[in-house]
Amino acid sequence: MHKQSLILLTIAATLLSSLAIRADDPISERQDLMDGTRDALKAMVKMVRGEAEFDADTVTNSLNTMQNTAATAGDLFPPGSETGGDTEALPSIWSDREGFNQAMDHFAKAVDTALAANPQSVADLNPVLRGITKTCKGCHDDYRQEKDN
Amino acid sequence: MPFKRNVRWWLTGLAISCVLFWWLIQPLTLDSLNLADESVNLVNGEHMFYAGGCAACHASTSDGNQPLLLTGGQALKTRFGVFYAPNISTNPENGIGNWSTLEFINAMRYGVSPQGQHYYPSFPYTSYTRMSTRDLVDLKAYLDTLPADSSQSLQHDLKFPYNHRWLLGPWKRLLLDPSPVLELDREDAELERGRYLVEGPGHCGECHTPRNMFGAMDLNAWLSGGPSPEGKGRIPDITSGPDGLGDWSKADISYFLETGIDAEFDVVGGSMVEVQENISRLSEADRNAIATYLKSVNSKP
Repeated sequence: MHKQSLILLTIAATLLSSLAIRADDPISERQDLMDGTRDALKAMVKMVRGEAEFDADTVTNSLNTMQNTAATAGDLFPPGSETGGDTEALPSIWSDREGFNQAMDHFAKAVDTALAANPQSVADLNPVLRGITKTCKGCHDDYRQEKDN
Repeated sequence: MPFKRNVRWWLTGLAISCVLFWWLIQPLTLDSLNLADESVNLVNGEHMFYAGGCAACHASTSDGNQPLLLTGGQALKTRFGVFYAPNISTNPENGIGNWSTLEFINAMRYGVSPQGQHYYPSFPYTSYTRMSTRDLVDLKAYLDTLPADSSQSLQHDLKFPYNHRWLLGPWKRLLLDPSPVLELDREDAELERGRYLVEGPGHCGECHTPRNMFGAMDLNAWLSGGPSPEGKGRIPDITSGPDGLGDWSKADISYFLETGIDAEFDVVGGSMVEVQENISRLSEADRNAIATYLKSVNSKP
């Protein structure tokens, strides 16, 4: 095989793979991630509100879900995903990336604190869950458009 | 002579119109109020400060660990122009440090400055007008405990004709009304407390009620949501109707106000974050009262 065609093939392959990444939809990906996060919150809130039996394993699983969100969400707002779908992301995410990353970092820390506390009762869970909720607001405040309904 | 008689009539009419006009643009205030036996309750004053959300517009510090500095300066961009919240710190020249309690009450209830100038209803005295003397006295006493800041208030930047303050004279005579928005269908102390907090200090209707052509709240669509006064997005319907809080229980509303977590387990965002955090400082009884009242508000007919 000619050296040139090898180079061409490599270029084509690179282009194709970047297209494949493009075809991935960061908007729906991050929305799915946030839906999962909400379900995790729901599981814990139900316990705090006395609508569900306290279960330490469910709490740990929920907190792990949140930890994963904190670790991956930041990468799901690449340039070019500002608009489209029914995204509620505000332009401030891209214009103030530093503030956004900081808000995400607060969330990660609050989740770590909760995991380290290893809650064994509603009384344990309540304060750390409040700490987490506060950081959710810290981001929804400035970086998410409120729903149009 | 018919000509002279006409002129006389015409002049009389003009004179009457002038007097009527002068009367219409006069600020209405209380000249005196017997506050002698009003002892001060600072805890209640602080409660009213948070119920009223004063800091949302007037505070220059958002960090809860720093002392509250009510410097003002926050811009409210509306279709009338840009309003800037003034300095309401205890500085005697640039703040409200040398206001008497009566002057404070006239500002809160009638939208009139100590110099007799009309305030624009961007300062929601249209709701605060329903506040009790007791709560206003306590609120003033609490504000007096906060630090002073010498920053000068910014001038509003309004479009014509809204830059003419005297227009607010007739506007207030038509639209400033301290009576409750909703008649209650039953006697219930909790419901009444909720109505007071929502319609008065909480001034929930200022954002959650659509505005009519005069820029006043359309009370026929009370709390049914509408376009944001700041132009972007929509403010949700919080009536008990199907487009509002129909699916929310009282406990859901109360829990939301306490934590910011809504009935769908989503977390509050936007300008409601600060409102919710203020309301979370009230007592649980007060949050329950708000919930009880909201569940009694019917959706727009």
